[in-house]
Amino acid sequence: MKSASLKTILFLCILFAFGCKQKKEVSNADIASSKNEIQYAKGFEIHKYNGYSVVKITNPWPEAKESFSYVLKQKNAIIPDSLKHFTIIPIPVKTIVVTSTTHIPALEMLGVENTLVGFPDTDFISSEKTRKRIDAGKVREVGKNENLNTEVLIDMQPDVIVGFGLNNSNPTLDLLQKSGLKVMLNGDWTEQSPLGKAEWIKFFGALYGLDSKADSIFSGIEKEYNATLALAKKATKKPTVLAGAMFQDQWYVPQGESWAALFLKDAHADYLWADTKGTGGLSLPFEVVLEKAQRAEFWIAPGDFSSLKQMSDSNPHYAQFDSFKNKKVYSYAINKGAKGGIIYFELSPSRPDWVLKDLIKIFHPELLPNHKLFFFQKLE
Amino acid sequence: MNQTKRNTVLFLILTIVVLCLFVINISLGSVSIPLKEVIHSLIGGTSSKETWQYIIIDYRLPKAITAVLVGMGLSISGLLMQTLFRNPLAGPYVLGLSSGASLGVAMVILGAAFLPASVASLLLSSYGIVLASSLGSFLVLMAVLVVSYRLRDTMAILIVGLMFGSLTSAIVGTLSYFSTAEQLQKFTFWSLGNLGNLSWTSILVLFTCVLIGLLLSLFSIKPLNALLLGENYARSLGLNYKKARLIIIFSTSILAGSITAFAGPIAFIGLAVPHIAKLVFQTSNHVVLFWSTLLFGASIMLICDSISQVPGGDITLPINAVTSIFGAPIVIWLLIRKRKMIG
Amino acid sequence: MENKTILKASDISIGYSHKKGNTIISSNINLTLEKGQLISLIGANGIGKSTLLKTLTGIQKISVVLTEKLPPSNLTVFELIALGRQPYTNWIGKLSELDVAKVNEAMELTKISHLAAKKYYEISDGQLQKVLIARALAQDTPLIILDEPTTHLDLLHKVALFKLLKRLTQETEKCILFSTHDIDIAIQLSDEMIIMTPETVVQDEPCNFISKGSFNTLFKDEHIVFDAEKGRFFFI
Repeated sequence: MKSASLKTILFLCILFAFGCKQKKEVSNADIASSKNEIQYAKGFEIHKYNGYSVVKITNPWPEAKESFSYVLKQKNAIIPDSLKHFTIIPIPVKTIVVTSTTHIPALEMLGVENTLVGFPDTDFISSEKTRKRIDAGKVREVGKNENLNTEVLIDMQPDVIVGFGLNNSNPTLDLLQKSGLKVMLNGDWTEQSPLGKAEWIKFFGALYGLDSKADSIFSGIEKEYNATLALAKKATKKPTVLAGAMFQDQWYVPQGESWAALFLKDAHADYLWADTKGTGGLSLPFEVVLEKAQRAEFWIAPGDFSSLKQMSDSNPHYAQFDSFKNKKVYSYAINKGAKGGIIYFELSPSRPDWVLKDLIKIFHPELLPNHKLFFFQKLE
Repeated sequence: MNQTKRNTVLFLILTIVVLCLFVINISLGSVSIPLKEVIHSLIGGTSSKETWQYIIIDYRLPKAITAVLVGMGLSISGLLMQTLFRNPLAGPYVLGLSSGASLGVAMVILGAAFLPASVASLLLSSYGIVLASSLGSFLVLMAVLVVSYRLRDTMAILIVGLMFGSLTSAIVGTLSYFSTAEQLQKFTFWSLGNLGNLSWTSILVLFTCVLIGLLLSLFSIKPLNALLLGENYARSLGLNYKKARLIIIFSTSILAGSITAFAGPIAFIGLAVPHIAKLVFQTSNHVVLFWSTLLFGASIMLICDSISQVPGGDITLPINAVTSIFGAPIVIWLLIRKRKMIG
Repeated sequence: MENKTILKASDISIGYSHKKGNTIISSNINLTLEKGQLISLIGANGIGKSTLLKTLTGIQKISVVLTEKLPPSNLTVFELIALGRQPYTNWIGKLSELDVAKVNEAMELTKISHLAAKKYYEISDGQLQKVLIARALAQDTPLIILDEPTTHLDLLHKVALFKLLKRLTQETEKCILFSTHDIDIAIQLSDEMIIMTPETVVQDEPCNFISKGSFNTLFKDEHIVFDAEKGRFFFI
């Protein structure tokens, strides 16, 4: 008697365990078989399944040791148990809070800008469409930089909050998550390749069930970019380029593997620090920069100045550079939105093709005679 | 007298040292330029490389001049403060000048968010910072003096200065809380001090202010010597204490205020150099101390600046880091020595 | 006849001024200070001796010798005494030949010439007091005031100081006024005395005070009596 019931229990246990294992294996196989939809961006992956998709943020901040996965669940979809421990976000979302101006163009291109209900530091937003909504009071101020106002957000109850983390500790976001809100980390700012950054529109597309729209928008940008890239290769010259500006005694230049430097490479220019490693900025003493870049033909992105006089007032040493003397200084900081937000910061990640066209127009004007500079302006 | 002979020799050596350090300072930097080229350019010739010419004449030379002015000005104001307050730990900033400057500059850099964009960009130019710093120093100095006047005690000024320092730190801290990373970096950079990047016009203004301050200090030498015996004896010698104190405070304000406005708050030089002078010349006579402090101040500042350039390297150190590394051990050593004298 | 008066005060009052009003410590004071006189100022503690001295220094240029501790410095004895010449030197305090001579003279008068090169903190308290007196001498004022110079000294040094002061008045013709609690010695050695009581301030020669019996009522204590013959106080 005893042994029989023991055997039954044992048998049931084994059956149960086997059953569980089976389920797990099925799910793993599912994920393995579903390919990553993303081609250029290295910071995230999208895996599509029946009724849901999994968005995996692999590089939320530089040197991140962990990745973050989110399950975007359509109505009536069934989520396998193995995925239930991830944050599940019901889609399509109807209200959204984003935290970087780079997110705004994606929303607008997908036509869902009306779902934006909150943003920190709304003054930074340049896009006129969204500024109208802000002025009409439809977009609420939710804090400053990474310091989001938890009370306001909890009160608002947006369907999803798209935030970003600079490092491992994000107490504000953790707090919001604990209070029951859906928080997603967006790592678009760590993306270095021009097309990689633009591909993040698919991140937002997935949130609204507008994946195919996002795909087609991106393909269009991709085509334009590659075409412009091919055009650049036809350039006969490779002008030398200086970037950055001084603060006190230190000059900050982008490193060779950074997004800004990659653009210069794609535009067929000789960026003087192109061979430095790293994706951030390099700080150098003024003397070193003068030695290396005094003869540079062009000067890109000298910081927040709107005229050559402003530059020389701020620091008389700027006038020593040939690019300054020959008036070949181009800045993206002149084009600003109504409340001072810089358009380049907001829009350029989504439209790398426009950036590249601008740069080609600057360096090789003969290749694009009809293009008008959009992001960059020559400093007078 | 033996002492006078010794002093003359010391002064001669010091003067030569200052001149040498001046030239050495100009010849050292991130870019290696041979000494021959440096001297050639300085005496009026042109260097073989255009960039070298510019670096020597328009970058390093103004920096060296600034270093000399800063070293002299801050050291003398430190000497004045130490004798007036009979406190060896007093420095040029005890009157609240650097806290006021920090407050002014913080309002411009960190508080830019609270100002309309047009005003903010105007103030962020280099002249704006100089103006904000001077105004801040002036206002806090006035506040300290008004409060101290009611207290009648000269020593009270020290404490009031300290209190205002805490107050301004609190305000600056609050402003930092609402600032972006970029603003904070700008402000931090300012507070780390910077001797370079002054236009020739700025140097002229700074030179004028320092000259006025030094001349006034010269006239304070006799009162300072009288004060060596204490306020009561000094009065019995016919010293107009109130007037003397006013002139001393005024000269310190011009010296430390203008230097902080153009170069940011430079730490420790004002505190440490007078002690070095007293140590080497072994006297309390302010005639000797005035000139020795001046020369030591210039030398040490030139040395610190040369170190901060990290010659041959690709980085530069902020000047405050170097002066602090120089000055802190001296202050510690002083405290130990003072204990011995009391005990 | 040559005028011997250095300072004459008629019917003055001394006190403190506050925001709320003036506090008068003593009034109807009449003093005449003449050349070559050694005058002692006596009175109970807190009666206003220091205030009186302070008031006098405010009236005209007088050199003083105080008991307060000097701020720490590296002054040599010579330099310290030379500071007494500040009222005569130029804008930067440079010593002329006359100034140097005066300093040397002051050192000789106080017999401390051998200490000239020493730092002021390297000498004994007694020697330092002489240095401070020399400084006052170097300042060359007709009147020198000392605030309680004999306090903290033993009898030997008290007497030595009194004798020094007496000799100085004779050799320099200056008037030296000092406050003290050593009434016995003051009676013996001063030319004149100023006695401060809560009611009055009186200046006269010691012998006149004795015959007037002023010392009998100086201390309001029946155990303290003054022996006119011996010229001293006794405790019974």
